[in-house]
Amino acid sequence: MKLSLKVWRQKNKEAEGQFKDYALSDISPDMSFLEMLDVLNEQLLAKGEEPVAFDHDCREGICGSCSMMINGKPHGPESMTTTCQLHMRKFKDGDNVIIEPWRASPFPVIRDLVVDRSAFDRIIQAGGFISVNTGNAQDGNTLPIPKPDADSAMDAAACIGCGACVAACKNASAMLFTAAKVSHLGYLPQGQPERQRRVLKMVEQMDGEGFGNCTNTYDCEAACPKGISVKNIARLNRDFLKASIFG
Amino acid sequence: MSSLLHFLRSTVFTKIVMAISGLLIIGFLVGHLLGNLLMFAGPEKINGYALGLKNLGPLLWLVRIAMITAFGLHVWSSIELASRNRSARPIAYDTKKSLKSTLASRTMLVSGMAILFFVIYHLLHYTFGIIQPNTYYAGGYRMESTGEIVHHVYNMVVAGFQNPFIALSYMIALAFMSSHVSHATSSAFQTLGVTNPNINKITSKIGPALAAIFLIGYLSIPLGVMIGVIKKAPPQEHMQGMSKECPDGPNCTCD
Ligand code: HEM
Ligand code: SF4
Ligand code: FES
Repeated sequence: MKLSLKVWRQKNKEAEGQFKDYALSDISPDMSFLEMLDVLNEQLLAKGEEPVAFDHDCREGICGSCSMMINGKPHGPESMTTTCQLHMRKFKDGDNVIIEPWRASPFPVIRDLVVDRSAFDRIIQAGGFISVNTGNAQDGNTLPIPKPDADSAMDAAACIGCGACVAACKNASAMLFTAAKVSHLGYLPQGQPERQRRVLKMVEQMDGEGFGNCTNTYDCEAACPKGISVKNIARLNRDFLKASIFG
Repeated sequence: MSSLLHFLRSTVFTKIVMAISGLLIIGFLVGHLLGNLLMFAGPEKINGYALGLKNLGPLLWLVRIAMITAFGLHVWSSIELASRNRSARPIAYDTKKSLKSTLASRTMLVSGMAILFFVIYHLLHYTFGIIQPNTYYAGGYRMESTGEIVHHVYNMVVAGFQNPFIALSYMIALAFMSSHVSHATSSAFQTLGVTNPNINKITSKIGPALAAIFLIGYLSIPLGVMIGVIKKAPPQEHMQGMSKECPDGPNCTCD
């Protein structure tokens, strides 16, 4: 199939970027979106041009690196799917494809489609430790966890830190990400001792990084490749309120 | 203590201020609607109701101060958060699609500002009588029950909405208000941390439902006037001895 690409090119953090058009032909519908970009880059290298920089690692939908906005949607047209898992059969022959980096001031573009998502790492770091005794791990059966809680904790822990929630949000808010990270420990007994401190610190860091605030439009939930639920945001709000008043 | 300071400085707190002040205003809107619907019950009822409100004295002022505070806090928090949100995405996307958000949820600032302008206009119109002074002083009303002469709220409203431009301006404002309320009410529960799935089944629908009730309820009054269901009250017998305290003030026609 043939495609017309419009790709954001930017040399480095300081440089001004602009869109560039590229025409591709002979793209197999069985390729992943990243493989399509690999083809583009080989052609660019053959012509002596700079390849398009994009993040990728696992190429199996679990690392959260392959961030890019495709035709106005984070990770492209397919829901619950990262860019590496998106296949070209989701596009039609002759399609125009616009590819842009995430846009949020806490996620500066460092080159082409690559943004610096360290702000997320700092939010996780701000959450701090959980108290665990050293020595042998205790027998799992001595820590009963209700099945619904275990499921909710696992669902929240599925967040891969890709940033699609921030990218999709009209306010560039990181509430879904932060809420997922607060919840996955908050649902478990191991997360209880530091539960209040954790939510206060993580929200403080999130605000400090300059993310926008949540206006409950829920575009984040629809954009999330892991289907993280916005109920985690309500949970964060409640934990935060409790921790502030009673903590 | 330090966690309290933390709390007061965070965006989550600002959002909670917005939710609580918004819910207070919604509570007011419910009461205001019920009172206004007395327009359908005729001049005796609505004029008596208006008089009753006036006679509440300090209690009325308590409600007024609470509403002004809620409104002020609501507008403050919206400006605070909106300016943060603006600076969080300095470079816009070339192409950006909305996924599951509603139009109402994406235009809260616009609908909110429209409401703010409307509230000022509405107060100037029916509370202070500046927009249409001739209909504000629409002739006093003598209560059939007590004989007391009172402000003829009924005729003032009828005369107001008989002007098609005024009626239209209220209808447009109502559209913005219901759009705001349809997202806001459900959203406030999320902000206040309600996660129970059984409760959420109700809270997710409460916004659109309340918006529909507000829209139909409030619209019924200008529409009722325009189609003639609510008509001007017939003139009463001559009201004697009412020149000084006459609620018609400078336009008084009784002697
Ligand atoms: C009839 C009057 C109004 C009512 C009943 C009302 C109610 C509410 C409620 C309940 C919320 C939800 C808070 C939350 O999401 O937790 C809200 C949000 C909001 N309001 Fe109002 N409001 C009114 C007027 C205004 C005015 C005058 C403005 C200011 C210009 C405004 C701007 C906003 C904004 C920007 C939001 C946040 C948007 C969002 O969270 O999605 N509102 N309003
Ligand atoms: S919540 Fe979803 S969209 Fe946001 S970072 Fe985690 S996985 Fe990505
Ligand atoms: S490359 Fe790892 S999720 Fe796409």
